[in-house]
Amino acid sequence: MIAEAWDWAARVTEWGVANWSHPGESDRGVLPRLTEHMRLAYLSILIGLVLALPLGLACARWRPLYPPVLTGVNVLYSVPSIALFFLMLPYTGFSDWTAVVPLALYTLVVLLPNVVDGLRQVPDHVRQAAVAMGFGPLRRLVYVETPVAVPVIIAGLRVASVATISMVSVASLVGLGGLGQLILSDGFRRQFDAPIVVGIVLTVLLAFVTDAVLVLAQRLLTPWTRGDGGGAARPRRRRRAAVPTGADAASASAGTVGPEAADAARARYPVRTGRGPGYTAEEGRSWTS
Amino acid sequence: MDILTDLLAWFADPAQWTGGTGIPARTGEHVYYSLLGLSLSAAVAVPLGLVTGHTGVGGFLTTSLANFARALPTIGVLFLIVLAAGIGLVPVLCALVALAVPPILVNTHEGVRGVEPRLRDAAFGMGMRGHQVLLRLELPVAVPLILIGMRTAAVQVVATATIAAYVGVGGLGRYIVDGQARQDLTMMLGGSTLVVLLAVLTTLLFAGLRRLLAAPGPRTGAEAAR
Amino acid sequence: MITFEGAAKLYPDGTVAVDDLHLTVETGQTTVFVGPSGSGKTTSLRMINRMVEPTGGSVLIDGQDVRRRDPAALRRSIGYVIQQAGLFPHRTVRDNIATVPLLLGWGRAGARARATELMELVGLEPSQARRYPHQLSGGQQQRVGVARALAADPPILLMDEPFSAVDPVVRASLQDELLRLQEDLHKTIVFVTHDIDEAVRLGDRIAVFRPGGRLAQYDSPERLLAAPRDAFVESFVGYDRGVRRLSFFPARELSLREDVVFGDGTAAGTAAASMRGEPWALVVTDDRVPLGWVGAGQLARVPADTALGSLGLAPYGHTFAVGTDSLRAALDAAVLSPAGRAVGVDAAGRVVGVVSQDDLGTALWSVTE
Repeated sequence: MIAEAWDWAARVTEWGVANWSHPGESDRGVLPRLTEHMRLAYLSILIGLVLALPLGLACARWRPLYPPVLTGVNVLYSVPSIALFFLMLPYTGFSDWTAVVPLALYTLVVLLPNVVDGLRQVPDHVRQAAVAMGFGPLRRLVYVETPVAVPVIIAGLRVASVATISMVSVASLVGLGGLGQLILSDGFRRQFDAPIVVGIVLTVLLAFVTDAVLVLAQRLLTPWTRGDGGGAARPRRRRRAAVPTGADAASASAGTVGPEAADAARARYPVRTGRGPGYTAEEGRSWTS
Repeated sequence: MDILTDLLAWFADPAQWTGGTGIPARTGEHVYYSLLGLSLSAAVAVPLGLVTGHTGVGGFLTTSLANFARALPTIGVLFLIVLAAGIGLVPVLCALVALAVPPILVNTHEGVRGVEPRLRDAAFGMGMRGHQVLLRLELPVAVPLILIGMRTAAVQVVATATIAAYVGVGGLGRYIVDGQARQDLTMMLGGSTLVVLLAVLTTLLFAGLRRLLAAPGPRTGAEAAR
Repeated sequence: MITFEGAAKLYPDGTVAVDDLHLTVETGQTTVFVGPSGSGKTTSLRMINRMVEPTGGSVLIDGQDVRRRDPAALRRSIGYVIQQAGLFPHRTVRDNIATVPLLLGWGRAGARARATELMELVGLEPSQARRYPHQLSGGQQQRVGVARALAADPPILLMDEPFSAVDPVVRASLQDELLRLQEDLHKTIVFVTHDIDEAVRLGDRIAVFRPGGRLAQYDSPERLLAAPRDAFVESFVGYDRGVRRLSFFPARELSLREDVVFGDGTAAGTAAASMRGEPWALVVTDDRVPLGWVGAGQLARVPADTALGSLGLAPYGHTFAVGTDSLRAALDAAVLSPAGRAVGVDAAGRVVGVVSQDDLGTALWSVTE
């Protein structure tokens, strides 16, 4: 049994190595699929982020704007990517945009609540202290609110990037490239498991590596959150939940300053975790008080 | 706007609304697979999550599992299972369950873990036994979070059930697959539209369910804190 | 009667929470465990209902070791109130209160009827029965917590810092309420707090715990304030323990002077003549409602036939009730009075007499001996 599994794993690995790239045929092999995958995923994430920041800022600034935007975001979140890809076809054909537009939207959807909550979560006493010291709205945004929001925004970005990277595979069904093509064309259509496994493994690896890079970026950008030694690798149990999507996220991911917010928002499913020392804005409102 | 007209014509065609390949039949299949997949997942994940949450055993495992599952490409999992187990409803269900269990499991686990320690303390202090604490306190308090997990799973299942048409079963994905095969763009778009509608409906359904199932107490309070 | 026989709790990491505790909690009394954090008071309390199992010694209720009883059954027979109440967020106020009766199998109707009864007992409006805990104020939640603990009419009530999360005004009213309840119910109450004032106010007996889980002193509140056993207890009960201790002595034993109390129609000369060296006189109405103080110097400066009521009087300040207040209240009234003298009144607020500083001083000396 174990020996068989080893054989199988070895066979899959051998296939991956043998087909990594084909000199002279730049479009064949695993590597071109991987680079395609990265291109589609990172482009989507980048566009989503660029859209989410101003929109989130606007929602944080003009509060009545947020609930309707959030409802829209919630509905969008539920739409399966495969349907969106096909609905894009008449407009964008087989270009990258067929995948990038829905995936960027998806990133936006995941990220927006985090941006808004991140900007809003500055404790009131801190905000008032800033006003009292003579900070204007813009200065406050740059020096107070944005730095506090960064961990929450990156937390959302981590969720969005992992989800996006895994969803790019679906784009192969429309006829686009990426690791999904490896899974579909080389694997499933030929009834051959090695390309499927290689595709899955590389997708997961890509997601994890991206996640790790984002964690690193967060630690570099926000040195003040490192305090409790909460490792990048494993979020410890923390109390606050973050549901970085839709209405749940609206009330969800805010509330913590510091690493717990970042780690709490790690999962796409809300992961609630242990009692942290962090500032919890909603604590006072909850039934417990 | 040709596409829109074609699409409307496709929907208006009475032939679409009857027979084994009609919209009602396909939608029915899709809902059937989804419901079956979701119920199976819930039947596995909710009790498991309740137990791991209550005992605190396997917390690390569930969280890691969820993180891993989130990164898994759906089509890879589906195709691999079908490749290993053959074409048919059972392999498809296996894939659906594999993808839907993690969000429900994690949310149930975390929902139970998230019950404030002093509530648990009060419950035991009043003389509740372990199972009573689980069923009378932890489960009801975890319901909103469990429902969020179920919704995530449901959306996932509806999407994956669409892809399942690629491995030879019915459902709304058939319009997409058959449309692709026949180079019939309208059919593909029609199928996609139906999938979108079904997915949005699912989300709305869960929003309603949450209103119904979650006691008003935690809904207004705990959710605000969530 | 609850008896700790050398009870100890040692955690695997070496922390000693409770160290060899010997203590007897009398039936029908309120016993307060007080101490700084980490002194093992809560751990000791939780040994009683087996929320914590001792690692050494034992805890007996009426002579029976609690470890010989099924924990769930034991706990159902003991009321338990915790900080911030710990109400179930998904149950209404009424169903929260009915929890233990339901566990005991009273049936829904019986449990709810009992809950309604208890809401009245703890001073909650019947209209709040269907509310959820988060819709109540902190003080109301705590009342529900007490009602829930009393629901099955347990002979023992364990209260773990129940009032620490509410503001001082609400806390005082909850303390009053508890004293009133206890007068009727005569439960065996074990109450944990870190607030020595709360302990003195509520306790029939007070156990002071010191860090490291050792009992520092176990005494009545008066004895504790009068004779702290060591420096730790002394510093814990506070620098003004002497003044606080006066709360335990009734004001009715003070000697009150009537000769410096005059009606507002009295002539200044008459008053001055009968004051015999006292610097201040109290002016009252015909119904003996206090009006204010007049000084001897002021009387000397006005024509002898001036009515006292027409003079500018100094405000009479605070009064104390002779029949019900303590020496502490009398002292307080004297300190706050511009004349430095306390005005004693009866239950209807009519002046009984004035306590001179000499007399107050004598009384204070007599109790501090």
